[in-house]
Amino acid sequence: MTVKECYEAIGADYDDVMGRLRKDERVQKFVLKLLDDKSYELLENSVASKDMSEAFRAAHTLKGVCQNLSLTPLFQSASELAERLRNAQDYSEDMEPLLEQVKKDYTHMIDCIRQLA
Amino acid sequence: MSRNKNVFEKKKILIVDDSEINRALLSDMLSNEYEIIEAENGLEASAILHEQEQEISLMLLDIMMPVMDGFETLEVMNKNDWIKDIPVIMISAETVPAYIDRAYELGVQDYINRPFDEQTVRRRVVNTILLFSKQKELTHMVTNQIMEKENDNKLMIEILSNIVEFRNGESGLHVLHIRTLTEFFLKWLIEQGEYGLSQEDIYLICNASALHDIGKISIPTEVLNKPGRFTDEEYEIMKGHALEGARLLQDIPLRENEPLIQMGYQICRWHHERYDGRGYPDRLKGDEIPIAAQVVALADVYDALTSKRVYKAAYSHEKAVEMILNGECGVFNPVLMNCLRETSADLKEELARSEGQNFQEEALDAVEQMIESGEVEVSDRTFKLLEHERVKYKFFAELSQEIQFEYTVTPEMLILSEWGAKYLNMPETFLNPKTEAFATSVFAEGDFLHLLEKLENSTPDDPVIEEKYLLNINGHERWSKVIARSMWSSWEPPEFSGAIGKIVDIHDELEKMNHLQVMAAHDSLTGLLNHKTAKTQIEAILSRDTEKKYVLIVFDLDHFKQANDTYGHLFGDEVLKYVADIMKRNTRSFDIICRMGGDEFLLFMPYKDEMEPLVKRIFHLLCSQYKEFPISVSMGVADAKECGGDYDALFHMADKALYKVKRGGRNNYCFYKNELTGGDVQ
Repeated sequence: MTVKECYEAIGADYDDVMGRLRKDERVQKFVLKLLDDKSYELLENSVASKDMSEAFRAAHTLKGVCQNLSLTPLFQSASELAERLRNAQDYSEDMEPLLEQVKKDYTHMIDCIRQLA
Repeated sequence: MSRNKNVFEKKKILIVDDSEINRALLSDMLSNEYEIIEAENGLEASAILHEQEQEISLMLLDIMMPVMDGFETLEVMNKNDWIKDIPVIMISAETVPAYIDRAYELGVQDYINRPFDEQTVRRRVVNTILLFSKQKELTHMVTNQIMEKENDNKLMIEILSNIVEFRNGESGLHVLHIRTLTEFFLKWLIEQGEYGLSQEDIYLICNASALHDIGKISIPTEVLNKPGRFTDEEYEIMKGHALEGARLLQDIPLRENEPLIQMGYQICRWHHERYDGRGYPDRLKGDEIPIAAQVVALADVYDALTSKRVYKAAYSHEKAVEMILNGECGVFNPVLMNCLRETSADLKEELARSEGQNFQEEALDAVEQMIESGEVEVSDRTFKLLEHERVKYKFFAELSQEIQFEYTVTPEMLILSEWGAKYLNMPETFLNPKTEAFATSVFAEGDFLHLLEKLENSTPDDPVIEEKYLLNINGHERWSKVIARSMWSSWEPPEFSGAIGKIVDIHDELEKMNHLQVMAAHDSLTGLLNHKTAKTQIEAILSRDTEKKYVLIVFDLDHFKQANDTYGHLFGDEVLKYVADIMKRNTRSFDIICRMGGDEFLLFMPYKDEMEPLVKRIFHLLCSQYKEFPISVSMGVADAKECGGDYDALFHMADKALYKVKRGGRNNYCFYKNELTGGDVQ
């Protein structure tokens, strides 16, 4: 599988990332790094322990990383979640669908990246 | 390490971002041309900046981070003035205008939005670094130019006024005195809030004061230096120097608007006016006379009085002040008279102090003042000096083989010297040091906090503290001395900002000292206390115990000389040891046993109801046999109750009783009880 194919499978914008990062190898290198990135784990754990400010930061980091790598679906769902979590004091029911979406996008994305590895 | 940047040396960029991927991404884009240092959050970044501030050319900073976020980091950088030396580019996905505004307010140079692309990042980094070093170079140039200009100005004025004074037969000190006096009076006026003067005014007026007599250059020498009294005609000529000086300054082509020229003009023209309107040349009255000229006039009169002249001796400070206040030397502004009256004592001191100060120093002061008021920034020269100091410090720190440390309050950090960190097998930098290994495992519980408290409670005037702690150095308990100096902010009131210090191992020294103390207190042969120590201990007991139910026994061995003579000194020593052992075995820890010297011993012990049974028991214990030598003793006893708390009196009583026994044929004991009574011998 090529990086381009991987991006297509994720639904991410390969042309955009190439426009900014310039080299296919570089994109590959950093996309693969996502397999070791702990932001998503941190997000899940923070939500579980109801630490909303930590959850916000994790979502925010996830969003930033995806933005830099033009991983559009997760960038979008993480952005929405981050906005909902910004300044949130407590967990609330309406966060659930947003969290679900992030989980779905993240899982799908990681599955695709694993095939690249 | 040097600020003289080697062309082949890569500039350093500090990347601060909590996401490892983001840091790596930026690093990847920049690492070809730059050396990259990474930090996970603001606190880590602060630690790096603290260490390597001078070496970092640029910082890329994320906003949202745990522990210390981007804004907090910028605040720390502002507080420590790092923001002036290190350009910061913010990188963030935040596009809220309030965020961006706040970042610029806190001094960031540029702002890059996520997602960033390689070109933008590289271009902005290059531009920012270039722009910033250009700026620095310029301020450096400006600083040096100001410095040179200041020096030239002063020098020219000095030369000029020296020429005038030389012609005038004066010492050349006159101009310096006038400057000191003028500055002194003006400072008082500022303190009182009179005449709305500023520090800059002082500086200008003081410089211009040197010009007050330049008009004398056009006075014929025979008039100028006439030893006797002036004729009316000569006096008129002499008076011309005021207007002449003003004219000279006014005629300097194209310079009539220079503040120094304008100020000099006022001073030259009007420094002989009188407050009552009877001076010259314009007969100005009261505050029609510019305050600068009034002050210089007062300084001029004072210095004339206190200096030796062809026609007069020098008056003392006190006499001169008195004459001026009495109106014997003209009429002055009552405010200035007040000033002279109030500050007379200080003035005398100030004049004594200012002797010998040189102009270079003042020029430096002036530049320093400008730096403080933010007009110029610290020049590269200063950086080089700092760098030089740092190299020097590092060298000596290594040489000294001591654990040295530096503690800062914001951000809270502790930095160990390279040698110290290696020695303790610890990192050099601790964030939140109170909970880290250095504070918790090297120091015993609470000791590090105790040290910090001591430092915080010290003052800028008395900042050095010394404390002893039992430290754990690599698993060994070592008594150590911590010598530290607290550091304070320069603003008022001073704020505790941290400390520097070192740890000195005093364990061996202390043990040796303890050992010496033990040695000094004891008799080396028997291990009993010596008399001096026993006396000190007994005196302590006598002073704190009011009941004083103690008995003092002094005794010596009968015919001990014979033991020495017959069996030799070594045998004599054995006898003494034997006697000492009897006493050690039969006394309690709170009894005081002492060998006073030779075969004389002393015992001091508490008793319950009666002294005699106790004394009797000891006496019989001592009467024994060591090898061939039969031991008997003569013993004098005194009751502590009767000495009134005075050891010497007590000892004297026991000694007297002992003497009685000896005269009575030895081998007995005797109590001192006003009159001497003997015990029965069995």
